[in-house]
Amino acid sequence: MDAIELVEVTKRFGATTALDQLTMSVAHGEVHGFLGPNGSGKSTTIRLLLGLLRADSGTVRMLGGDPWGEAPTLHRRLAYVPGDVALWPGLTGGEVIDLLGRLRGGIDTTRRAQLLERFDLDPTKKGTTYSKGNRQKVALVAALASDVELLLLDEPTSGLDPLMEAQFRAVISGERDRGRTVLLSSHILSEVEHLCDRVSIIRAGQIVESGTLAELRHLTRTSVVAELAAPVPEALASAPGVHDAQIEGHRLTCQVDDTELGPVMSRLSALGIRAITSTPPTLEELFLRHYDESA
Amino acid sequence: MNGATGLGELVRLAARRSRWFYLAWVLALTLVVPATAAAYEQIIDPANADLLITTMTGIMGVLGIVRSTRAQEEDGRIELLRSGAVARHVPLVAGLVVGLAACAALGVLVAVAMIVVGAPAAGSVAFGGGLALVGATFLGIGAVAAQLTASARTANALGLWTLAAAYTLRAVADGSGEGATARLAWASPVQWMALARPYADERWWVLALPAAATLLLVVGAVALEAGRDHGAGLWAARRGRATAPERLRDASGLAWRLHRGQVVGWSIGMLLFALAMGSLSTSFGEMLEEVPQLRIIFERMGGGAERLVEAFFVAMLSIVSVVMAVLAVSLFGRLREQEERGHAELVLSTALSRRRLLGSHLAIAALVPVLLLAVVGAVLALNQSRSVGDWSIVAETAGAALALAPGGLVALGIAVLVHGWAPRLGWVAWVVVGWSLFMAWVGTALDLPEWLTRLTPWAALPQLPVEGMDWTAVLVTLAVAVLLVAAGAVGYRRRDITGL
Ligand SMILES: Nc1ncnc2c1ncn2[C@@H]1O[C@H](COP(=O)(O)OP(=O)(O)OP(=O)(O)O)[C@@H](O)[C@H]1O
Ligand SMILES: [Mg+2]
Repeated sequence: MDAIELVEVTKRFGATTALDQLTMSVAHGEVHGFLGPNGSGKSTTIRLLLGLLRADSGTVRMLGGDPWGEAPTLHRRLAYVPGDVALWPGLTGGEVIDLLGRLRGGIDTTRRAQLLERFDLDPTKKGTTYSKGNRQKVALVAALASDVELLLLDEPTSGLDPLMEAQFRAVISGERDRGRTVLLSSHILSEVEHLCDRVSIIRAGQIVESGTLAELRHLTRTSVVAELAAPVPEALASAPGVHDAQIEGHRLTCQVDDTELGPVMSRLSALGIRAITSTPPTLEELFLRHYDESA
Repeated sequence: MNGATGLGELVRLAARRSRWFYLAWVLALTLVVPATAAAYEQIIDPANADLLITTMTGIMGVLGIVRSTRAQEEDGRIELLRSGAVARHVPLVAGLVVGLAACAALGVLVAVAMIVVGAPAAGSVAFGGGLALVGATFLGIGAVAAQLTASARTANALGLWTLAAAYTLRAVADGSGEGATARLAWASPVQWMALARPYADERWWVLALPAAATLLLVVGAVALEAGRDHGAGLWAARRGRATAPERLRDASGLAWRLHRGQVVGWSIGMLLFALAMGSLSTSFGEMLEEVPQLRIIFERMGGGAERLVEAFFVAMLSIVSVVMAVLAVSLFGRLREQEERGHAELVLSTALSRRRLLGSHLAIAALVPVLLLAVVGAVLALNQSRSVGDWSIVAETAGAALALAPGGLVALGIAVLVHGWAPRLGWVAWVVVGWSLFMAWVGTALDLPEWLTRLTPWAALPQLPVEGMDWTAVLVTLAVAVLLVAAGAVGYRRRDITGL
C-alpha cells in the first residue's frame, strides 16, 4: 500500500474549484516532488492530507488511515513544514521547536542540536524577530528532529539562501536513505531534480503528469541543430514530429518528438550530415511546457 | 519623492481600515456621555462622569493608532506600501490624521449631544473639546509606544499601562483632598478635561495642556521613527530561552503562555477596581442620604433593595459580571486569532486534536472570568464586613457574584458556537456583550422598560441578596451555556481550518 493515495479528490472553496478530480499516489520510502504553477492546488492537497480541510468528494488515504477522521493519531507519524511559517511573537525559536516536537509525541534532543548547528540557527530569538528564511528553518528543525515516517514539506526552501539550501538537500538525502517518505512541493527545479525519485505535476487542480524524471523526459522533445551537405528541403519542416523548425540554407534548427527521433535522423543522414548537436530538454523546458496553460 | 508622497492615498487606506473601529467607539461614547449625564443631571455635575469617559477615550486613542501603524507594520502590510511611492513617515502620519479626525468627531458629537440634552453651551464645548484633546494625547502616547516596541501587543500594553498610571495618579490626587498631592492631578492626562472645569466657570487655558502634549508626542514619535529600522522597535527585542520550559508541553501549556499577560493585567485591574469600590461602599450610605435622586437610581439599579449597601453591591456586580463576559469573549477570541495567523495550522499538524485545542482556550476563557468574578465579589464586600464585623458578608457577596456567572458563560457559549460554525461572524458575541454592558450600565439609570434591560443572557439570573436564590434559573442558564459550547465544538470538528 502507498504512503499517500488520493483518488478523484475534489475540493471547492465557494465558487473556485481548487482540486478537480485529483488522483495521485506516493509510494513508501520515496521522495516525491510536487510541482505546479501558483494557485494550482499544491498547498490545498497537503492541507487535505493533514486533515485541516475536508474533501468534497473522492478518497484520501495516508499512512493507511483516513486523514480527516484520524488526524491526531496519524500525525504522530508525520511532520509538516508550511510554506509560510507563522511563529508566535512571544515564543523563541527553541521553544517552538520543543513545543511542536512534544505535541508530536517526542523530540530527539541530539538530533535537534545537530540540526540547529547544521542550519546555523539561533534558538534564543523571539518569533517575530526571525527573518523569513530563519522562520522556515525553525519549522524545518522541528519537523526533522522528530522521528517520523512521513515528511510533508510545502515549499520548505523558498526563503533559504544557497548555503542552507545545500544543507537542506543533504539532510533530505539522509532522510531518504533512512527510508522516510517525503512529499516535497517546490518551485525550485534543480532541487527537485536533485532529490526526487518521482514527481507529479499539478495544474488547475489536476495531475497532468506523474512519473520518474527519466519517464517524463522520455515524453518530450530533443532540440536538434544540424549542418547538412545539401540545402535543407522545406518539406522537412512539416515532417511528423518536427516542431519549431528554422531553415537557413544548409542549416536546420528544430525540436523533435523523442518518438520520431529515429525517422527524422534517417532523413537527415540521407541528405548528408556535416555536423549535428542534439540536446535533451532541460527540466525548465519540460516544466514550462506543462505549466503553460495554452500548451 | 518628497516627504508627503502618498499621504492622500494612505489616509484613505487608513480610514477604510479603521472606519468601523472608530465609528463603534465614537458612537458608543457619544451615546454614553449624555445618557449618563442626563440620568445624573440634577445630582452630579456632568463633569464628574468624566473619568470613565476620558479613560475610554484614552483606550480608543491608544488602540486606534497602534492598530493602524505598528500592527500593520508587524503584519508586513506597510512594507508593501513603503516599496511603492510612499515617504518614510507617511504611514504614521496617515494613522494620526485618521485618529485625530475621529477624536474631533467625538468632541463635536459629544458637545452637540450635551447641548441637546439641555446642558449649557460653553460647558458642553469645553467638555467635548477636552475629551477630543485627551483622546488626541493618548493617540500621541500610542504613537510613541508603537515606535518603541516591535510588536503591536506590547505597544498596546505600553500605552494602556500609561493610561492606567494616569488613572491611578488621579485617584491618588482625588483621595488626598487639598494640598501638594492634590496638585498631582495636573500630571494626569485623564484629568485635564476635568481641570478645565466644564460647566463650572470654564478655564479654557487648561485645554492648551493636552494640545501641547499631543504636539510634543507626535513630533517625538516622528523623530523616534526616523531613528529606527523598518519592522524593528527602538527597544531591541530581548533574547529568550533556547529550550522550552517543562510547562510548555501541550495545548494547555501553550494556551496559558498566550493568555497569561492578559489574565494578569485584567486580574490586577479588577482587584484595584473592587478595592476602590469596596472602600466607597461604607461611606456610600451617607453620601446618598444627601442626594435623593441618586439614591433612587441606585435602588433601581440594585433591583429595589431596601438597604443601600446591598443595592450598591447588586449594581456593581451586575456590571462586573458583564465585564467578565467581555473578558471571556476576548480570551476565547485568541483561538480565532491563532487560526488567522496560521498558528492553528501548525499545531493541528501535530498529534493535537481539534477538541483539545478548543478545550485549552475554552478552559481559560471560562475559568478565569468566573474565578475573577467571585474574587471581585469577595473583595468588594471586605470593607463593609470589617466595618460591621460580620465576615459572612464576604462569602455571601462572592456567592451573589457567582450566581451571575452563567450569564457570561452563555455569552462565551455564543462565541464558541459562532467559532465552530461560522468563524467570520465572530462579532456576534461582541454585539451580545456590548448590548448587555450598555443595559447593565445605563439601561436602568435611563429607566428603560424592564423587558428591554433584561433582554440579555443575564435575564433569568437572581440578583442576590435582594432577590432570593433561584437554582432553576442558574442551572437552566448554565445548561444553555453548555449546549452552546457543545454545539460549537461539533461545528469546529467538522469545518475547514484556514491557514495563512
Ligand atoms: N481558504 C481558501 N479559501 C478560498 N480559496 C482558497 C483557499 N485556499 C486556497 N484557495 C484557492 O485554491 C486554489 C489553490 O490554492 P493553493 O494554495 O493550493 O495553491 P498552491 O499550488 O499551493 O499555490 P502556490 O504555489 O502559490 O503556493 C487557489 O485558487 C486559491 O485561491
Ligand atoms: Mg502553496
